[in-house]
Amino acid sequence: MSEQQLFKVTIDNITIEVPAGTSILEAARKIGGEVAPPAMCFYSKLKGSGGKCRTCLVEVSKGSEKDPRPMPKLVASCRTTVMDGMEVKNITSPKVVDARAGVVEFLLLNHPLDCPICDQAGECHLQDLSYEHGKEGTRYEFQRRKFKKHDLGPYIQLHMTRCIMCFRCVYTANQVTDSRVHGVLDRGDHAEIATYIEKSLDNDFIGNVIDVCPVGALTDKTFRFKNRVWFLKPMDAHRDCPKCSGKVTLWNRGEEVFRVTARKDEWGEVEDWICNECRFEKKNSSDWVIEGPREISRHSVISQGHYVNTVKPTETFLAVNDGRAPHLLLDIHSESDVNKPEIELSLINGPAHSNNFNSK
Amino acid sequence: MAIKLLLEKAHVQGIRTYEVYRREGGYTALEKALKEMSPEAIVEELKKSGMRGRGGAGFPTGMKWSFIAKPEGVPRHLVCNADESEPGTFKDRYLMEFLPHLLIEGLIISSFALGSNATYIYIRGEYAWIPDILEEAIREAKAAGFLGKNILGTGFDCEIYVQRGAGAYICGEETALIESLEGKRGNPRIKPPFPAIKGVWDRPTVVNNVETLAALVPIIKMGGEEYAKIGVGRSTGTKLISACGNLNKPGVYEIDMTISVEEFIYSDEYCGGIPNGKRLKACIPGGSSVPILPANLLLKTAKGETRYMNYESLSDGGFATGSMMGSGGFIVLDEDQCVVKHTLTLARFYRHESCGQCSPCREGTGWMEKILKNIETGKGKMSDIDLLWDIQRRIEGNTICPLGDAAAWPVAAAIRHFRDEFEWHITNPQEAQIRNFGLAHYADPIHVPVTA
Repeated sequence: MSEQQLFKVTIDNITIEVPAGTSILEAARKIGGEVAPPAMCFYSKLKGSGGKCRTCLVEVSKGSEKDPRPMPKLVASCRTTVMDGMEVKNITSPKVVDARAGVVEFLLLNHPLDCPICDQAGECHLQDLSYEHGKEGTRYEFQRRKFKKHDLGPYIQLHMTRCIMCFRCVYTANQVTDSRVHGVLDRGDHAEIATYIEKSLDNDFIGNVIDVCPVGALTDKTFRFKNRVWFLKPMDAHRDCPKCSGKVTLWNRGEEVFRVTARKDEWGEVEDWICNECRFEKKNSSDWVIEGPREISRHSVISQGHYVNTVKPTETFLAVNDGRAPHLLLDIHSESDVNKPEIELSLINGPAHSNNFNSK
Repeated sequence: MAIKLLLEKAHVQGIRTYEVYRREGGYTALEKALKEMSPEAIVEELKKSGMRGRGGAGFPTGMKWSFIAKPEGVPRHLVCNADESEPGTFKDRYLMEFLPHLLIEGLIISSFALGSNATYIYIRGEYAWIPDILEEAIREAKAAGFLGKNILGTGFDCEIYVQRGAGAYICGEETALIESLEGKRGNPRIKPPFPAIKGVWDRPTVVNNVETLAALVPIIKMGGEEYAKIGVGRSTGTKLISACGNLNKPGVYEIDMTISVEEFIYSDEYCGGIPNGKRLKACIPGGSSVPILPANLLLKTAKGETRYMNYESLSDGGFATGSMMGSGGFIVLDEDQCVVKHTLTLARFYRHESCGQCSPCREGTGWMEKILKNIETGKGKMSDIDLLWDIQRRIEGNTICPLGDAAAWPVAAAIRHFRDEFEWHITNPQEAQIRNFGLAHYADPIHVPVTA
C-alpha cells in the first residue's frame, strides 16, 4: 500500500491527522461531538452534494503551514478540503455562531413549523439544528410561503412548504436510481421540488429520497400519520433481496412493522441504499430475519422508550389460573367499533379511520 | 476631447457590416496578433496594459488569463459573458449592437492567446435581436477567412458560437453561466475549483466580459505599454459608462478614467447635468449592486478630495464612505427621487433573481423586500431598520456566489447614508405616501476634520 499523505488539521484546538483531500467537515466528524458542524445538505454518499445550506460554515483562522493567512470569509466546511497545518474555528468562533444562528433563522423563516403533524418529527435534522443553534423566537412577521400541491405517486408524500432546498433528493435520483423524473422548478424563494408533468415517482430505489430528506418534505406515504417515530421500536433486520443489500431497520410497535427504512449512522446518513420493494412492500415480520434492536443515540427522542435490552414480559395469568382464561366482565372489542384486534393498524392504507373498523 | 478606443468608429455609417469595418482598419489587430505574435506574447502584452476586467469585479485580465490550466490533450474554452443583466448597465449591448465586429475580432485574438478552438458568446435572453447581429458578423468574418479552419495560414482553428440565455440575472455569474451553457439549471458552482481549472465540461475556461474582450483590439493595436499610459494608476485604458437616471443626456460614454465625477455628470461633453434644474441627491456609480452614495460623498471623498471616475477613487473610503466602479452602470437620482422606494425596487429585483440554491440569499432577499415594502407603504416600524441591517449583515459573505453580497450592499448603503429618510418614512407614514423626503442635507458639504 502506498504511503498516503496525512495532513495535520486543528479544529477548535483539537488536532487530528487526516488523509489529504478530506473535507473540514469529515475531519471534524472524525473528532466527533460538538466539533462537527451541522450539515443539512451535505451527504457523504452523494457526489456533488453540499455547500448550499450554509449551516456548516466555519472560520479558517490559518490557511495552512505554507500560507498561514486566514481565509477572508467563512467557508462551507463540507466543500473545503483541509490543508496541512490548517486551523479551523467552529464553535469557538463568535462569527460562526452568529452566522449559524442567522442561517437557522433563514431556514425557519418560511418553514411551517407543523412538527405536531409532521411524520419527520423526532428524527428531523431541522428540529435538531434549531434546538442547538437557533433562537427561541422569529422576527418574521409575514405570511409564510405556500405552494401548489404536487402528487408524487403512491409511495412518496411531498410537503413542499417544509423543504429547505438541500438538493439531496435530486442527487439521489441522479446517482442511485436509473432515471430522475423530479427536480427543482423555478428559482429563488419560489423554487420547488416537483415533477414537471404530474408524474409519479415510481422507479426503483426512489424511496431512498425519503431517507435522505433532512426534513419532512418527503415522507413515506405507507407510514403517513400511522405513528410517531418515538413510539416505535427500531430493529435491525435483513432479508435476501435480489436488488439491494436487504439490510434495513424495521420500525415496530409490538410485532407489527410500521415502516421500513435504511439503517442510518450517527450522522443520519444511510449505510446502504435499499430498494422500493424492501421499503414499501415487506411490512410483515415474517418477511424479515430480525437481528436485534438498533442502537439509537441516547440524545434522540426515539431512545426514550428504553427498548434496548428490555425483555418481553411473559403472561403469568394463565400459569397461576391453572390455564383458564380470565373471565372478563366486558370485552371492549365486542362493544366498541374501533380498534378491532384482527385489523392491523400498520396494514391500513393511510391513517386509521372509523370506516376501517365498521363491521360489515 | 477624450480618448476613444472602443467607440471611435461607432458612428461610421454601416460599421456593423464587415466591409465598412475592414475599410476603417478593422481586423488589422487580428492580423498583427496571429501573424507576428505568439499566444504568450499576447498575454504578456495584456499584463503590461494592466487592464482590469470590465464586468464588475475589476480583476486584472492578464493575471486571470495566466491562471488557466493547460493540461495535455484537454481543450480549453473562452466564454464571452454577454449576459449583461445588472440594472443600469447597458454598455455591452451598445457594443454588440453597433460594433459586432470589434467583439468578434477581440474574441478571435483572445481565443488564439488562450488556445480556445470553440469560443462561446453567452448572451442574455432579453437581448433577442442581438444574436442575429452577432451571427451575421460571425458569418461575414468566416467568409473573409478570419474564422474557421487554419485562420490566416497559422494553423489555428476557431469557431464562435452564440448561445442565448433564458432570462436570468444569475447566469451572469461565471459559474452559473457555465452551468447554463452546458444546458443545466443556472446555479452557481461552489468554488474551488475555479473555471480556470474546471469550467465548461470540466475543461479549463476563461470567462470574460464583452467590453474586456473588445478592448483586446486597441491593446494589440497600440501595444500594452501605450495602453497603460491612458488613465491613472491601476485604472488603465478607457471604460464604457452607461449613464442613466435623471440626466439630460443619458447614454453610453467612453471615458479615460481621468475625469471627475462632477465633470462626468455636469459637463456638456458627457451627461449634461440634471434636467429641469433639479439638484443631485444620490448616485449609484457602478450598477445596481454597488453601494449608493449621497451627493456630497459622490463628488468629494470623505477626506475632501475630488472623486474621479476610476476604480481607486470611486472605492476610496471603502464601503463606509465610498462605492465601487462595478460594471459602469451609472444611475443618477435627483432630489425628487425616494431612496426607500429605490431600495425596495432593487430588493425586489434581487429577490426575483436569486437562484434559490443557498439559504441566506433565498430567504433573506425575500424578507428584506417585504420589510422594505412595509416601510414604503407606511406600515414600517422603527425596529425594522435595524432588522434590515441585521438581515443584510447575515447574507453578506455567507453565500455561494456574489449575488448575496449584491443584494445586501444596496440595502446596507441606503441605511448607512439615508437612515433619516427611512426614519421619516416610518414616523410620517401618511405624508410619505404623498410627498418625498427631498434632497434634505444630502448635498451639504462634509465636515473634514483637520489633522495636525
